[in-house]
Amino acid sequence: MSIRDELNRLDEEMEKSLGDLENLNALEALRVHMLGKKGQLTALLRMMGQLSAEERPQIGQLINERRERFTKLLDERQKAMQKKERELRLQRERLDVTEPRPLPETGSVHPNTLVLNEVVDCFTGLGFEVVEGPEVELDHFNFELLNIPKNHPARDAQDTFYIDDNVVLRTHTSPVQARTMTTRKPPIRIICPGRVYRADEVDATHSPVFHQIEGLVIDEGVSMGDLKATLAAFARRLYGSDIQVRFRPSFFPFTEPCGPDLRQLPRQGLPHLQGHRLDRGAGLRHGQPARARNVRHRPAQVFRLRVRHRPGAHHDAALRHQGYAPDVRRRPALPAAIPRGRQGGLKE
Amino acid sequence: MKVSMNLLKQYAPIPVSPAEYEERMIMTGTGVEGIEDLSQQLENVVVGKVLTCVPHENSDHLHVCTVDVGQAEPLQIVCGAPNVAAGQLVAVAMIGAKLPSGTIKKSKMRGVDSYGMLCSGPEMGVPVELYPSVGDEGILVFREDHPLGTDVREIFGLNDHVIDYEILANRPDTLCVWGVARETAAAMGTALKLPEVTVREDASASIHDFAKVEVQDSDLCPRYAARVIKNVRIGESPAWLRQALYAAGMRSINNIVDITNFVMMETGHPMHAFDLDKVAGKHIIVRRAKPDEILKTLDGKEHVLKGGELLICDENGPTGLAGVMGGEESEITEGTHTVLFEAAAFDRTSIRLTARSLGFRTEASGHFERGVSPQTVLDGLNRAAQLVNELDAGDVVSGVIDLYPEPIVNKPITASIERINRLSGVELSGEQMVKILKKLCFEAKAEGDTLTATAPCFRQDVEGEADLCEEVLRYAGYDLIPSTPLKGAADGKRSTTMLQNDLMRKLLSGMGYYETMTFSFIAHKKLEQLGLSEDDDRMNALALRNPLGEDSAYMRTTLLCGVMTTAQLNQAHGNDHARIYELGKVFDNVHRTAEDLPSEYNSLCLCAYGAGEDFYSLRGSVEVLLRQTGVSYTIVPASETWLHPGRAAAIKAGDETIAVLGEIHPEVAEAYELTGRVYIAEINLPKMFAAAHSMGYVSSLARFPAVSRDLALVVAEAQPVGPMMEAMREAGGKLLEDISMFDIFRGPQVGLDRKSVAFSLRLRAEDHTLTDDEIVRVMNKVLKTVSEKFGAEIRA
Repeated sequence: MSIRDELNRLDEEMEKSLGDLENLNALEALRVHMLGKKGQLTALLRMMGQLSAEERPQIGQLINERRERFTKLLDERQKAMQKKERELRLQRERLDVTEPRPLPETGSVHPNTLVLNEVVDCFTGLGFEVVEGPEVELDHFNFELLNIPKNHPARDAQDTFYIDDNVVLRTHTSPVQARTMTTRKPPIRIICPGRVYRADEVDATHSPVFHQIEGLVIDEGVSMGDLKATLAAFARRLYGSDIQVRFRPSFFPFTEPCGPDLRQLPRQGLPHLQGHRLDRGAGLRHGQPARARNVRHRPAQVFRLRVRHRPGAHHDAALRHQGYAPDVRRRPALPAAIPRGRQGGLKE
Repeated sequence: MKVSMNLLKQYAPIPVSPAEYEERMIMTGTGVEGIEDLSQQLENVVVGKVLTCVPHENSDHLHVCTVDVGQAEPLQIVCGAPNVAAGQLVAVAMIGAKLPSGTIKKSKMRGVDSYGMLCSGPEMGVPVELYPSVGDEGILVFREDHPLGTDVREIFGLNDHVIDYEILANRPDTLCVWGVARETAAAMGTALKLPEVTVREDASASIHDFAKVEVQDSDLCPRYAARVIKNVRIGESPAWLRQALYAAGMRSINNIVDITNFVMMETGHPMHAFDLDKVAGKHIIVRRAKPDEILKTLDGKEHVLKGGELLICDENGPTGLAGVMGGEESEITEGTHTVLFEAAAFDRTSIRLTARSLGFRTEASGHFERGVSPQTVLDGLNRAAQLVNELDAGDVVSGVIDLYPEPIVNKPITASIERINRLSGVELSGEQMVKILKKLCFEAKAEGDTLTATAPCFRQDVEGEADLCEEVLRYAGYDLIPSTPLKGAADGKRSTTMLQNDLMRKLLSGMGYYETMTFSFIAHKKLEQLGLSEDDDRMNALALRNPLGEDSAYMRTTLLCGVMTTAQLNQAHGNDHARIYELGKVFDNVHRTAEDLPSEYNSLCLCAYGAGEDFYSLRGSVEVLLRQTGVSYTIVPASETWLHPGRAAAIKAGDETIAVLGEIHPEVAEAYELTGRVYIAEINLPKMFAAAHSMGYVSSLARFPAVSRDLALVVAEAQPVGPMMEAMREAGGKLLEDISMFDIFRGPQVGLDRKSVAFSLRLRAEDHTLTDDEIVRVMNKVLKTVSEKFGAEIRA
């Protein structure tokens, strides 16, 4: 059989084998059979020695052509087979993406923290700095400097927790202002968030521990107008831009003129905000030189807001697992309903 | 304070709806809590006359009546009341009438049609205060003549609204009808019409022949005034008076007592009426109590006084507490002939302290505590005498006793108009300010920039420019204040503590922990249940002087108790798994501040229990917090009474313990009613952040390859792994980039009480590829160290 015949036979064999290929292993076997070191084409190359010098280059070219063609055929076929095999695998691996599975456990912050963060973000955005102070407070800062001397009825109304005659659990965040005013120089623009204490039994609208935030601005040329704009901006941030706010007169022992009491109208059961100016000369008028010495008599304004510590807050985790509040995270980051506190000047 | 709107309207017209009135009052600074429409409880009930009344054929107690209600045809009404009779004027609930119990419909009673109902007082919701004998014996029968068809609400005074005012602490002058009438007239812009007080005196007798008053402690009683009424005719008060008291929530007693209550309500001056014949020596003495003096009050109780309380006495001794409660002895009764009316001003603090120490809070003490102006005492007294005239309740003896040694006069206040405008942000002229102040009964004038104003005698709260500013502003309207956003840039920021807390909360949320919040109070028992020794700082908690109860008597020194209680609550609610934490202040009462206050610092307490939770998972959570804040720490075994002795660890940064964690001791768990194994950690946040690197750091990508070597070491079971790793890390030096433990094996292959610990070591040099020599040298050094220090052998 001549080499040429052999080459033709190989062409036929290649065509047939390619048609019969079942998998990549068979393809690889065919590649070895045809192109390997011991393969058919190599065997033919070895037979070249028997050929004449004229025939040799011709046949050599024919063999190389085959080598190239076969390689190309096999490569193409391999790619096609690989693609098909991958497609099959992908088919097999199809998942039911709608099948429910347990989620990784994530926690959440207390709703109170959510609200507090919202409030603080609003004020820091307006240039207020957060200042904190002690919760076990000197009577001096909690009352005296705020124009509430001993035996002042406000002390009754506030139902203060006493440690001793001179130390109380702060009944409001105002002592932080008093401390700030005695240590810092204007301009001052601060908010003071934190726990405050009143000797109230827990009921639907009372709690001996709750949170309050108040603000203080001391600067040249600030007026009630600044207070109004700031409180309105705050109310819009917390309750939405469609909120209606109004300012009404009220009374606090340590402010003058009477504090505007800003409360939102349409929805009941939300905390109300209060704002006032600090009394410029209250200390002097009431014969309290201590206050006059310590507190700068500058135009000043104070914002106060009460956010109540929800009674029974520690049940949260319990409720979560019972299914009442399966997902605190999904709650809007606003208070759904925080009971409005007692009203009345002194009770604040 | 509740006030009848009809009564108020007599003094100040209200030309607007109740809702608008409420709004206007609130916006001018007089709080209104609400307005109740009394007429709503009763509709379509009219006066009718019973024409005929015959027994019902099929009943032994019902009557069939025909009732003329002023319409063309009389109504047939079946009535079951025993007292019904022809000729009576009665209250007829027509078809469709609204009663407190429901709506009246046409009905058939035992075969007879009934077109309405004859009512008793209780059926209409009308109490005896509004109409005497309202229905004790059945239906209410009017005692006086009324046109048929008259709406009964007019008769009972129910065509009225009751306004509930919120009285501000600085405005005691508004704690009376006249006071709110003044504000109402100013707010409505209507004319104030307070009654002109004139007294018709019986000139035949002088008060000095009847009584003598002596004030020994005028510092507590700046003014004491009295009048005497003789030939007292005790009787029932007229309807208008009863109705006015009813609207204010007071009961009608008799004409004299009602007058004192009405005058208090109307003028704000608490009055007291003495039966003068029962005042020993007809001599009233106002003085401080002596220590241990005994007083018997109206309610029949005996009180031992501390001394210093202001007393009203007669020659036999104390008869009442000034401004708080009168004496039993001199109480007004049916048989009273001569009455002494007292109107006085007492020191508010003294009254408040007395009322509080004896546990009394009366209407009168409430007024005195807020402040009663001495200047207007005679208004109250004379108004009472005038009402005695009007009600013909007795004869007013001529003369007044008025002890007022140091009369008070309101002084003019000067203020700068420009300054008021600058403070308030509004633009008002001096004339506008004067106009507002005059509406509020001030004397005021403006000259140039100077505003001069004198407060009316009933105002004690006006002391300076700021007060004038307030008065002007609230009537000019808070709406006038412009809204001007704060000017100037300021560095708004959270405090460092707050930022640190935020970071902790974020990390914990991500790790599946839920935040809880508990009160800052603690029961001492809960601390004791932790098994802490007496000298432990945490046992020395700050005690409240007036706690709400034993459970909240101390300020917490640790968050453990609150969090464990929360965990218990969760278990009790059926939660079989929980990861919770609390972040909050604790109060260290031992290390006190420069101001001698307890040190307050933030503590963080983590707690976990249930499937998947163990000592290591909790410790892992704590370690994540430490790593995220860049704290270099070591873990050492710890000993805490509240932790399992074999499962307790302390986290140390240098020598400072920054956290303690472990499994709760079974005894403590039992005391807290916890079930199963519960893991808990408490972190001292200030100490942790003190050890933290404020900024993270980055290292460049390694340029040379690392080499990994595994090492299985057999050591004694009791040998802790942590120190071994520390020693290996140290021995490995710079070339040992990282070391981790990946397995612990226990079994017969390694021997009894021994364990095989497998470590993975990663070695790398920063500046070259490691040679075999270098690797062997490091590994040998590591091995030598562990075998010398810990007796470790390479596992065969």
